[in-house]
Amino acid sequence: MPVTSNAAAQAAPAAVSQRGRGALIGAGVLALALLPLVAGASPYMLGLLISALILSGLALSWALLGNLGGMVSFGHAAFFGVGAYGSALLAGKLGMPVLLAIPLGGLIATVFSLAMLPALRLSGPYFALAILAYAQIFRILATELDWLTGGAAGLQRYPGLPTVLGFNLADRAGSYVLVLACVVVFALVYMALRRSHVGTALRAIADSEDATRVVGVNATVLKTWMLLLSAFIAGVFGALNAHIIGFLEPDYAFSGIWSVMPIIAAVFGGYRSVLGPIFGAVVIYLFDQVIAKSLIPVGHQILLGIVLAIMVLLAPNGLSGLVARFLPRLAGRSLSNAEKGHA
Amino acid sequence: MLELDAVTVRFGGLTALSGISFRIAQGEILGLVGPNGAGKTTLFNSISGLVKARGRISFNGREVTGLPLHKRARAGIGRTFQIPQPMHHLTVRENLAVAQVFGAGRYDEKRIDEILSVMELSHKADADAATALALQELKRLEIAKALATEPKLLLLDEVLAGLESNAKRSFMLKLKELHALFGLTVVIVEHDIETISGLCTRAVVLNFGQLLADGTPAEVFSNPAVVESYTGNAHA
Repeated sequence: MPVTSNAAAQAAPAAVSQRGRGALIGAGVLALALLPLVAGASPYMLGLLISALILSGLALSWALLGNLGGMVSFGHAAFFGVGAYGSALLAGKLGMPVLLAIPLGGLIATVFSLAMLPALRLSGPYFALAILAYAQIFRILATELDWLTGGAAGLQRYPGLPTVLGFNLADRAGSYVLVLACVVVFALVYMALRRSHVGTALRAIADSEDATRVVGVNATVLKTWMLLLSAFIAGVFGALNAHIIGFLEPDYAFSGIWSVMPIIAAVFGGYRSVLGPIFGAVVIYLFDQVIAKSLIPVGHQILLGIVLAIMVLLAPNGLSGLVARFLPRLAGRSLSNAEKGHA
Repeated sequence: MLELDAVTVRFGGLTALSGISFRIAQGEILGLVGPNGAGKTTLFNSISGLVKARGRISFNGREVTGLPLHKRARAGIGRTFQIPQPMHHLTVRENLAVAQVFGAGRYDEKRIDEILSVMELSHKADADAATALALQELKRLEIAKALATEPKLLLLDEVLAGLESNAKRSFMLKLKELHALFGLTVVIVEHDIETISGLCTRAVVLNFGQLLADGTPAEVFSNPAVVESYTGNAHA
């Protein structure tokens, strides 16, 4: 029956694409897990990969805010820095176990993000600039409250990652596994949220807030939850980073790099997808540290700008957009080959 | 069902609506007419909560003047926009699902299919993002979205504008069908006198933010003040 075969032909690529997406996610996680082996597992490469994954987590939290709620943040350094200091202080001054201090560091970043709620009344560039201003305030506070934060000299004496069940999380391989696990967990949370009705409404808010409010969506409350969740995720990765590198100072923890790099990574990878920011961060960080730095040791970031500009011009949806464009073609080709085989 | 008492809206020094008072009974189809800038859309915006108004707006016996937009939608006030505002990157079905979950407080796939079928959008339900729809489909989606919130009152802002005469006629029939099928009270902003006469049991005319006339379409459109506001000539 021609109608049936037409319908089947139309349905098949969609099913393949759905299966393809699932396979892609699994392959992506596996690739990240095996990356240290491929990279030779030298301490230097592992260190780079850990930093890349920290950036992945931060880019994921930035993209979550942008994709679910349409909020563009120029100040994720604030959450990252507060999470780092929060966890380091809890573990260093109160003697709290590090693995408990890390999520609590995220929670502290969440609590501090409540100060940013008035900025939710703003939209577009005004929101972005307000968040940037908040990030500066937190950096200044970390510098000035030296009785708590150690001031400009920062904090050095706080514990690193512990050994759990004989597995040393403080060595590079252990840290890599822990950070990767956190990235995967938050990516799964983000995916579940995106697929829910709340996530669908949040994606719609990013398009047109009035269109959603007029059908009963309380856009302010949903955006607030996203700001809190994004702050929590950024805070956790700030805390992880603090316990991995073993020192903190305000100019580092609240550096503009932690606000700018997640944007570059998410846009490069495709901020509308879940995997885009994660892989965007890994690719862009390794490109910067391994290739750009060897070509231009001083001012290598200029190459990042060029690569990002090319990506935005040629593939505005980033790496994930490119994959989404080519995967159905590949799937379609294999499907038609299979059909020829049957014929 | 809806009671407006001295509703006034000012934008800085400009008075967009001045002391508008009238009632709408359950089941009515009321035409809101008036020249451009008369305040029709501003009245819709103040009823639905998009702009703040002075005075008193009561819906089903409950004052809603101070309620935010989303709470009025949940209370049963559905609306469409003159320029359709779909949730662009969502499919047609997702648009309706969001409206139903948040507006009606439940998710009922069967009901969504029903609305899609009545609004002749079933074939587009999962195919594309709303951005890919043609104007007439966008207008149907706009109404479908409002219906998904399970409204008691439906405010339709120039849903027939931009449609050619055949499309307009079939859309009018569709509106009558919806009115009967969903037991709605409808207020429609429309410029076309024939449409109002064919569709509505009552018409309210606004001019320069003030209520000019209120009555059956025949009464209203023979009112010299209304004729003058439309043509600039009292004897036309």
